[in-house]
Formats: sequence, C-alpha cells, structure tokens
Amino acid sequence: MPKLTLFVQIQGAPKVIEVAVNENLTESELHQALVDAGISPGPDQFVFIDESEEPIAKDQKRLVEVKQGTRVHVARCRRIKTTVNYLERTIEQDFAAGARVRSVKKWAMKEFELDKKDAAEHVLQLCKSTERPSSDTPLHALVQANNCVLCFDLVPEIRVEG
Amino acid sequence: MTTIKPPDQLLLELDLAAAEFRCGEMEGRWRHISTAWPHVVIAVSAAPRQNGPSEYVYRFDCNGYREAAPTAQPWNAETDSPLAQKDWPTGKSIVPSVFRPEWKEGRCLYLPCDRMSIQGHDNWRNLHPERLWNPARGIICYLEQIYDLINSNDYTGVISA
Repeated sequence: MPKLTLFVQIQGAPKVIEVAVNENLTESELHQALVDAGISPGPDQFVFIDESEEPIAKDQKRLVEVKQGTRVHVARCRRIKTTVNYLERTIEQDFAAGARVRSVKKWAMKEFELDKKDAAEHVLQLCKSTERPSSDTPLHALVQANNCVLCFDLVPEIRVEG
Repeated sequence: MTTIKPPDQLLLELDLAAAEFRCGEMEGRWRHISTAWPHVVIAVSAAPRQNGPSEYVYRFDCNGYREAAPTAQPWNAETDSPLAQKDWPTGKSIVPSVFRPEWKEGRCLYLPCDRMSIQGHDNWRNLHPERLWNPARGIICYLEQIYDLINSNDYTGVISA
C-alpha cells in the first residue's frame, strides 16, 4: 500500500497533482507511478526531484530521495536561463527547472553584494510585468512558451500605505 | 435530515482539500486547524526568531468565498479569541505596515487581498496589483503573502519583545 504522497507540478499546467508511492522507490518505479497517475513524461521532458540540479533517469536500481510531501517536477526545460536586473547591473545564471524563486533571490543578493536589510526590502518581479511570484514558486511554472528563459527585476518592496 | 452546505463553504472545503493547500501543509508552511463556517482557522509558520513563535494563527472569515476575498484576524487558538496586540508579528519596515493592531481594532490585516482593508483603498489596485485578491487562486493567494512576510528578513518577532 502506498505510503508517501508526492506533489507533481508539470510545466505549463496550472494544477498540482498528488501521486501516491511506496517508500524506497527506484527511478523506474517513480516513472511508472507517474504514468499510472496519467502523467507520461515524454522524451522531451525531464523529471526533477524538488530543487535537484539533475533530472532523474529510469534506472531500475537507483533509489529516489523522496519523503512525504516532496515536490516532483515534470519540465520541458532541463535548465532555465535566468537573468536578474538591479539598477544598471544584470547578472545571469542557469538554474534547474525545479529551483524556487527563493533560491534565485538568494543568489542575486549575493552576486549584487546586498545585505540582509536590502534583501528584506527587495523582491523579484517578472520583467515587463507587475507579477511578483511567491518565494516557493518553481521556475518552470513561470516560463512562457517552453523557451526556458526567465527575466526578473530586483525591485524595492513597497510598504502598504494610504 | 441532510444539511445542504452553502456554495462558498463548499468551495473553501474544495480548496483546503486541493493539492496546492496540502502541499503547503506537508512542507510545513501552514496547517488547517478548524472550521466553524464562515470562520476558518489556519496557522502559518514563521521564521525562527529569538522572540517569536514557530507559527501565527489566523481566523479567516470566508463569507462569499471565492468571489469575495476573505478577511483574516490574528487569532489565539488556545483561547479561541483575538490575538493580544503584544503578540502580533512585527518587523523593520514591510511587516509592520501589514500587521497593524490599531487598524480596524485588529480585526484584519492591512493587505490589498483582505476584504475589509481593500474597502476605501481603490488606489491599491494600481499600487499593489500583485497583492490583490485572486479568486482563481483562492485562499493560497492570501496564505502565500502572509507566509512570505513572516519568513522574510524584515520580520523580527513579536511586538512585545
């Protein structure tokens, strides 16, 4: 009887899907569990465990490191080329598809040499929009049209006033 | 006799059972404590601070959900009463602009996604579009904002410290 619940997020699909699996499952067993749940990762899709740098394969022996509630990502992007603009500076780095906005901000604060106070007063906003995704959002959920590119502006957080 | 639940309650129950909410529960971001319609009590985890609890509890009034935004009041789950002002979360700049015990006698948070606070603040629709209530996302929209605030570097703990 399945013991763990995993939460699967598919690139381009808005809803999260729950998949029940056994403990100590292998990569191939996870793939099969996805297929059984109606999710069939195609040859052009990658399966990531949470923020892992590398996608899993379909190895029949290698165990997958999951626990209750682990997120699994099915993404067309293996890496997402991420740009962050701050004042006149621009930095760029490739992130795994399941990396979260929180990780991008942490990296950007370090690259821009901003301290904790600055971190508290700035947020990542998608370029040419007013959208400020929550810190837990995986990057693939923000990518448009499978182009595997993201752009953020690091902007001041505005106090709610008035 | 079968009691027919109102549509707003059914929608809220649907959202509390949805994978998005359960994912947040299993990741330890929030947890549903109780429902006494139209009130729903949910705890949201906070970043560890020397003078702060591991979570803050909110009582959401979800009347008219999802079309109407909920309104959330910091709550004491043990006494089932409003949280004492000294125990509200605070911070350096952004957090205290949202958690304002003096605003409407502490009955809501000063957020554009809050049903009570948005009233009379039409300018917020332009100033804070990302903080407005989004019926398509439901209660997650409100919870994520609270969670990000009390897990930010701006958050320092409770007011009384």
